[in-house]
Amino acid sequence: MIELKGVSCRFGSTVAVDAINLTVETGEVCVLVGSSGCGKSTTLRMINRLLPHSAGEISVDGQDIRRIDVRKLRLNMGYAIQGTGLFPHWTVARNVALVPKLLGWSRDRITTRVDELLTLLGLAPETFANKYPEQLSGGQAQRVGVARALAADPNILLMDEPFGALDAITRDNLQNEMLRIQRQVHKTTVFVTHDIDEALRLATRIAVMDQGRILQHDTPENILRSPANAFVENLLGSQDRGLKLSALRRVGDAMSRHPQPCEPDLETDWLSEDDSLRQALSVMLWHEAEQLPVRDAGGAEIGVLSRDQIWTGAT
Amino acid sequence: MLAPASDMPNRVVPVLASLALVLIWWLDFGIVQPNRIVPGTGYGLVEAIGAANSAGLSAGLLALMVMARHRFRARFYGLGALVALLLMWQPILLAEFADRQLPADAAYARTAIGAGFWSLLFLLGLMAIEVLSQLPSPRGHHLILVALVLVVWGVCVAAGRLDSLSLVTEYASRPDQFRQALTHHLALSLSAVLCSLVIAIALAIMMMRRDRWRQPVLATVSFLQTIPSLALFGLLIAPLSALSTAFPFLQTLGIRGIGWAPALLALVAYSLLPIVRNTYVALSEVPDDLVDAGRGMGMSERQLFLKLKLPLAMPIIIEGVRVTTIQAMGLTAVAALIGAGGFGTFIFQGLGQAAMDLVLLGALPTIALALAADGVLTALGQVCRPAGLKANG
Amino acid sequence: MRVFIRPCVWLLALLFCASFMSVFEALFGWFQPGQTSLIYQRAGFLSLLQNHVLLVLISGSIGTAMAVSAGILVTRGWGRDFLPLASQVASIGQTFPPVAVLALAVPVLGFGEAPTLMALVLYGLLPILRNTLVGLDGIAPAVKEAASGMGMSPTQVLLKVELPLAGRVILAGVRTSVTINIATAAIGSTIGARTLGDPVIAGLVNGNTGYVLQGALLIGLLAITTDSLFEALQRTWSQRLLAAAVAG
Repeated sequence: MIELKGVSCRFGSTVAVDAINLTVETGEVCVLVGSSGCGKSTTLRMINRLLPHSAGEISVDGQDIRRIDVRKLRLNMGYAIQGTGLFPHWTVARNVALVPKLLGWSRDRITTRVDELLTLLGLAPETFANKYPEQLSGGQAQRVGVARALAADPNILLMDEPFGALDAITRDNLQNEMLRIQRQVHKTTVFVTHDIDEALRLATRIAVMDQGRILQHDTPENILRSPANAFVENLLGSQDRGLKLSALRRVGDAMSRHPQPCEPDLETDWLSEDDSLRQALSVMLWHEAEQLPVRDAGGAEIGVLSRDQIWTGAT
Repeated sequence: MLAPASDMPNRVVPVLASLALVLIWWLDFGIVQPNRIVPGTGYGLVEAIGAANSAGLSAGLLALMVMARHRFRARFYGLGALVALLLMWQPILLAEFADRQLPADAAYARTAIGAGFWSLLFLLGLMAIEVLSQLPSPRGHHLILVALVLVVWGVCVAAGRLDSLSLVTEYASRPDQFRQALTHHLALSLSAVLCSLVIAIALAIMMMRRDRWRQPVLATVSFLQTIPSLALFGLLIAPLSALSTAFPFLQTLGIRGIGWAPALLALVAYSLLPIVRNTYVALSEVPDDLVDAGRGMGMSERQLFLKLKLPLAMPIIIEGVRVTTIQAMGLTAVAALIGAGGFGTFIFQGLGQAAMDLVLLGALPTIALALAADGVLTALGQVCRPAGLKANG
Repeated sequence: MRVFIRPCVWLLALLFCASFMSVFEALFGWFQPGQTSLIYQRAGFLSLLQNHVLLVLISGSIGTAMAVSAGILVTRGWGRDFLPLASQVASIGQTFPPVAVLALAVPVLGFGEAPTLMALVLYGLLPILRNTLVGLDGIAPAVKEAASGMGMSPTQVLLKVELPLAGRVILAGVRTSVTINIATAAIGSTIGARTLGDPVIAGLVNGNTGYVLQGALLIGLLAITTDSLFEALQRTWSQRLLAAAVAG
């Protein structure tokens, strides 16, 4: 658990972060979102003491971070940044092994761990371990960056716009990976982004920041339903809040389920149970369909989603 | 897109080869001098090395022209081999010239290299550079070619075949002085580089720590670089001689107004700029996000410096050392004017006595040292370039 | 124009020292008690200065003309074949020590101003050539394509686009070249050129530190004056570019 109580950060006369309070529960993903210069990165960098806080108290699992040795603190926090920050003169394996090596793990343990992590991130170790960052695509490099942050199995993960420099498709893929990995490892994560859709997708709770203050700190759904003020509303884009809300729901949760899975009708179009209601709506609009069958991951038809169910399910 | 250059007929080699062909037939190939000072008589190509050799040499150059016009890929290997062979043939031709034209009875007579021969060497050198730059990885071939040519020249000299060559005569009459000049030259220039490397890294680190040091330090070292060498050597004489007069114990250390002390000081002052600038730029241009990432993951400042900044900066630092070393090799020759020894002694002695071969005996080794320093440090830069960084990055 | 104040001040100092070196006679006398000849008399400092500057100026002009035209020649059409060789020669040539080049000029041209001039031209054109190549090479191909795409002839592209854009880099090359040449011209004294190196060499030969100091002082001032002049030129150049960019 990370707690910030009345934390401020001043550079000379400018106040970058102004007396914020924020609690990140163990295992949740807290996304700090806001436009550039709002203090979100500053907040993140105060947590691993890359920046000193000028007032207030930051504690990790109840312990004031100023009382913890700074290197010990950082070694226990994974850190991934925009543009990866991979060391260009080290191989992928050596980059991932950075923190374990600093912690003095044995060589065997490090090798095993590196292979395990590369596999987790969908990078075949035999192909990638000995490549240099320059030989990777943007998405691959960012995966390595995440692997490096996870290397020593830290309790806390700090991510500073890690997918900010990627193209839309790669970013989408990596967000999916993040969700999958998070379901496996349950790290307490602080994630900074300026992309509200990324925030809505990844967050357990979102903290919307502007001018060094937290305007609203709540679950994506609550923020969408009742934005605290005009700024948050504007950030969400008042025109398509409904669509964004529908994007938070799974088809599987809104459909009417067949009593027994049955053989799918191969002729008609269909939805997958993990699709969002937003995707379902789009498919229905396109095909002018009143309702569509839903299949599970194995391909069996498990239910039907109607237009009305989207309406009731999304709001 | 243009086709790769290696698939097009090469125009450079034919131009150079035809120029060489004209010059060797037009200018004197070799000179015979009755003694050291008197200007000698020049001999044309056929007189100097005989009809057969002249024909052979011309045929070699023609072959280069023809081969360069062809389009097959491997031709640059053939061209390289032919250029190397021609370069290796040159000392043998010189020996031939001495056998033919050196009068047997004149004890002080000596042979000198004529303008035609110099032009041929120069143009062959240019062709070698051109051919090497067309080969896929120039480094290795480079070394093989230079080594082969040097070995043949060395064997010819060692076997006494070039004893009558004035340059060799000059060397033969002062081998000890030559060796001493070499040690002095190397000792002075290398210790200057070493001193300035230590000072420069300290200065660079200081500038990184405190930004307000940056401007004055850089301004000072580039100011020092602007002062002409002769002036700096000269300006240091007065204060150093004053010092050694005031503190006689300095004289026992050899610190006087002239000699190695002002030379070393001036050389260090000169050597600072390239190293300071490169070290500072290289260290401060390590991207912030890398440093941030390293620090954020718990690396200590020491680890950040040793494992991240220094390796990434190394190639550029070595480049600075390379520039400095080449410069120091040349300036050490000038330092001979204030009595610091080295190959400059021969140059200025030779100029004083109008003995051109003595000048060459000083100038050629100075050039050789600079080229050798260039080669060694370029290679070191390649070795120290961290894997994973682009060759041109 | 304020940037030119500094070179003017240095120039005044240089001219003052060259004209009225004798006002420092007492200083040199204090420095060298017992020395009878305190101020270098064999030739006037002003005429030495003039000769020195002339050598550098002539060699600089010839060198710049040769290097820039060579640089232009090897970056277009037929001459492009010579580009690798030219850039290799420009970089290998610069590893040759200037003093060695100076010494090698003597066997060819004998003693005096001529070999000095030749050495200065040959050695001085290398940094200019290299910078010309770097400058012309550094222009984005898109810029050149846009220019010719809008109907400029190759000559217009060269004169109105390429050279102005590469100009700053070329000027930096000229600055390096002139700095080296001022130093090398001073050493030219040893091969019989009449330059400000004369008093230094004479002083070294006769053990007269005063001569050495006088020569060194003037050479140093000349170098600083020239360098600050180039500094000012480069500043105005980049300001003009900036103004042009803003206006465009």
